[in-house]
Amino acid sequence: MRRRFDIRRLTQYGVVVVVAVTLNFLLPRLMPGSPLTLIAGVDVGLLSADQRAEIMARVGLDAALWKQYLRYWGDIFTGDFGYSFRSSRPIVDMIWDRLPWTLLITGLSFIVSAVVGVVLGAISAWRRGTKIDLGMLSGMISIESLPSFWLGMVLISIFAVQWRLLPSSGAVTSASDLVGWAHTWDIVRHAILPAATLSILATPGVYMTMRYSMLETLREDYIRTARAKGADERRVLFGHVARNAIAPVVTVLALRLGFAFGGTVIVETVFSYPGLGRMVFDAVSGRDYPVMQAAFLVFTAAVLAANLLADLLYPLIDPRTRTS
Amino acid sequence: MLANVNRRSLEAGKEHMAERPSSPAIALLLAVLLVAPAACGGEVAPGTSVRVRAAVTGDEGTLNPYTYVSGFPGWNLLMLQYDSLMQLDKSGVPRPWLASEVRVNADLTEYSVTLVEGVTWHDGRPLTTRDVAFSVDYYLNNAEASRFARDLMDVQDVVVTDDYNATFVLSDPSAGFEMSALADVPIIPRHIWESVESPSEHQFEGGTNIGTGPYRLIEYVEGRSYRFEANADYFMGAPAVDELVVIVFADDAGVQTAIRTGEIDVIFERIPPEQIDLLDAQDPLDIALGPEFTTQMINYDASKRPFDDVTVRRAINLAMDRQDIVDTVFLGAATVGSPGWIHPGHPSYNPDIVAIYDPVAANSLLEEAGYLDSDGDGVREFDGQPMSFEIITNSPDSLRLRIAELTAEMLAAIGIRTSVAAVETGTWEQAVWPGFDVNNGRNYDIAMWGWSAPVQADPLRLPQLVTSVPVGGFLNLTGYENAEMDALSGTLGTESDPAERNRILGRMQEIIAEDLPFVLLLYPDGAYVYDSSVYSDWEFIAGQGIVSKLSLLPPSARP
Repeated sequence: MRRRFDIRRLTQYGVVVVVAVTLNFLLPRLMPGSPLTLIAGVDVGLLSADQRAEIMARVGLDAALWKQYLRYWGDIFTGDFGYSFRSSRPIVDMIWDRLPWTLLITGLSFIVSAVVGVVLGAISAWRRGTKIDLGMLSGMISIESLPSFWLGMVLISIFAVQWRLLPSSGAVTSASDLVGWAHTWDIVRHAILPAATLSILATPGVYMTMRYSMLETLREDYIRTARAKGADERRVLFGHVARNAIAPVVTVLALRLGFAFGGTVIVETVFSYPGLGRMVFDAVSGRDYPVMQAAFLVFTAAVLAANLLADLLYPLIDPRTRTS
Repeated sequence: MLANVNRRSLEAGKEHMAERPSSPAIALLLAVLLVAPAACGGEVAPGTSVRVRAAVTGDEGTLNPYTYVSGFPGWNLLMLQYDSLMQLDKSGVPRPWLASEVRVNADLTEYSVTLVEGVTWHDGRPLTTRDVAFSVDYYLNNAEASRFARDLMDVQDVVVTDDYNATFVLSDPSAGFEMSALADVPIIPRHIWESVESPSEHQFEGGTNIGTGPYRLIEYVEGRSYRFEANADYFMGAPAVDELVVIVFADDAGVQTAIRTGEIDVIFERIPPEQIDLLDAQDPLDIALGPEFTTQMINYDASKRPFDDVTVRRAINLAMDRQDIVDTVFLGAATVGSPGWIHPGHPSYNPDIVAIYDPVAANSLLEEAGYLDSDGDGVREFDGQPMSFEIITNSPDSLRLRIAELTAEMLAAIGIRTSVAAVETGTWEQAVWPGFDVNNGRNYDIAMWGWSAPVQADPLRLPQLVTSVPVGGFLNLTGYENAEMDALSGTLGTESDPAERNRILGRMQEIIAEDLPFVLLLYPDGAYVYDSSVYSDWEFIAGQGIVSKLSLLPPSARP
C-alpha cells in the first residue's frame, strides 16, 4: 500500500520535472529578441554576417532546437550549465555565489513572517469581531496589496535617505576590507531593509491562513467540549485550537519557502542585492539563455522540494492524514 | 583563478576577505541582531589617498577585451587598464598616446607608429612593437564577439621595424583609421595572450587583465563590484585617484539614491534630465555637463508607401517642433537635432543646415501632393487608405517614450494619425533591425530610434547609415537609396585631404536634410553627477562623457 503510494507520487514529481524543464528551456527562446546584443556588445550591428554566425556557433545557438534541448538535459545530469553569455563565468559558480544571499534574506523573512503571521492570526481569530480583529484584518489586507518595489522604495527613502540609518543597496560595503564582527554587522545592516520588505509582504498570507484555520477549528465540537470541561482559555487556545489549526499554515509556509526564491526578483532589484533574483533579472533583460535556464531550474527545484516537504510534514503534524 | 574571484583576489597570492555570508556569519546572525549596536563600526581609516566609488547599472564581465559587455561604460572601464596607440583629447580628437608619433602616407594606406620608450606592462615586462603586432593578429584571428576585429579588418599586415617602430599596412585607403582603430583598440601583452585559445571563456589564473593602463583590476565580485588600484608607474604619470571602486547596481533608481546617501561618489552613467537640478542642489554634489553624440530620431520604412515619397518625409520633418521636445522632455538638457545628422558641436557640422518647424508648410506640402482628407475625419489618405500608423518604441527608455507621444501629437497636426506602441527592447530591435542585419528588411512603419555615440563621433561612418545596402549601408535601417549619396560615400573614405573630406561631408549633410532618410530630433546632452568633496577633476570628453582615464590622471598628464 505504502509502496504503491510512493510510486504514484514519484511519477507525479517526475512528470512535473519534465514539464518544468521543458518550459524552462522553451520560454527564453520564445521571447522576442536575441542574446546576440549581449554577447557581441552594443556594436553587434557592425559585425558581419559571418562574425555573427561564428558567435552563435560558439555558444551553441546555431544547433537545431531539439539538439539544444538534449544538451540542456545533459547539463542537468552533469550539473555543468556552461558559461554565462554576459560575464563569461561558469554558471554553477555564479549560482553558488548568489544562493547564500537569497537564502539569507528569504530565510530571515520566512522566520519573521511565520512567527508574526501565526501569532497575530491566532490573536485575531480568538478575538473575532472585536476592534483588534477588524483592525488587524484590514491592516493585513492593505499590506497585501502593496507592490513590493513601492514598499522597498518607501523603506529606502525613510531609513536610507532621510534618516541615514541603513544602506540603500548591496549586500556588503564594497571593497571595505571589513573583517570579523564588523563584517558580520555590515552584512546584517545591508540585509535588514530587503528582509523587512519581504517579511512585511509575506506576513498577511500567513496571518490570513492562520486566522481562517483557527476560526474553522473554533467551531469544532471538541473545542466546545474542552470549554465545557472548564479548561482555562489559554489552555484551550494553545493546547487545542492553535495546535489543530496549524496544519494548513504549515502547508502554506512550506510552499512559500519554495516560491520565496522567485519572489525576490523585484526586491533584490530595488535594493541592488546580489542574490539569485537579481541574477534572473539581469539574465532576462539580456537574454542570457544559459543563466535563465539554470536559475529557473533552481526555482523549479525549490518549489518541488517545498511541495515534497509539505507532503512529508503533513502526516507528522496531522495524524489523521497518515497512511496505514 | 577568476572563477573564484569572489573568494580570492585577482592579484596572485594576495587573499581577500570572503564577501559572502560565511556560515559563522549566518549562525551568528540572530545573536548579532540582539547585541548589534555594540559591534558597530569598522571602516578602514581614510589616509591621504584618494578613493572614488563609482556606480554602474550592469555587470561588465571580467573586463578584458573579450569579456567586457557594453560599449559604454564597459569599454571605458576596460580602457582604464589598457592603452591604445592614440587617445582622444577632450574635444574628441585622437592624439598620440602609447605611440609618441603617428605618420600616414599620402594615399592613406600606411600608418607608421613610434612607441613611447620605457612603457611597461603591469607585471613589469616592457612593451614593444611585437605586442602591437601580436594584438592585431590576435584580434583578427579571434574575431568572435570583438569590436576590435572590425576596427582592424582593413589591416593587411603590421611590419615591425624594431622594438619601437612599426607600420600598419592597410588593404584599402582609410581616412578614419586613427579614430576607429588606433584610438580604439587596446594593446594586449603577447606573453599573456599567446597561449590563450578561447578568449571569451578563458579563465585566467592569477594575473589577468595585465595592461599598460593607469589602473589594475585587483578584485572582481561578479554582479557586485570591481576594485581598481592605481598603477603608480604609469608612463604618463601616477593617477590622481589611488583607488577606484566600481559598484554594480540593478537600476537607475538605486544609483540615484546611493549618491544622495553618500554610498557612492560618482555615477558612471548619464543621469536623466529631471535629476540634474535636484542632484545639483544637494551639497556636495556637482554636475559635469557636455555634448554627447548619441541621438534620438524618427525612423520610417522609406522603401514602402507612403514613406517612399520624399514629400511625406519632408512634411514629417517640418511638423517636428524639436525645441519643444528638448524643453518638454529633456528640460533643456539636449541639443536640437540637425536634419543633416551631424551635431552642431562637431568639427564636421555643416552650419548651413538648420531645423525648421513649420506645420503650415507641412500641411500644404501634403495637400499639394494629393494626400487629402476626403472623408473629413481629420486623417489624410494615401492610396485609398488612411494615413494611420503605429510608432514603435522601447518601453525601458521613458524619455524616448515621451518623445514618441509628442511626435504622435505633432503628426496629428498634419493629418497623420499614429498610436504609440511601447514594447520591450528585444522586440523593438527585432522589428526595426531584424537579426541586426539590414538584409533582413524591416517590420515597422514608424519607429523611434537612437544610435550610440561612436556612430556619430566618427563622421567617416556616415556612409554606413545612408548608402544603399549593397554598397555598404549596413546601418541603413530605413531602406533609403540615393545614387549621389552612394557615389560621395565611395570617395569619402579614400580622400586624403581633410578639407576635401569636410566638403564631401558637408554635401552629404545637405542631401540628408533634403531627402530625410530619417528625422533626427535631438542629441541628449551628457550630465554626470559627482561628489565634489571626494574628487572633482572630471574631464568631459566631447561625445564620450567623463568615464575615461583622462578624468583620473593629473591634469598635467591629459592631452
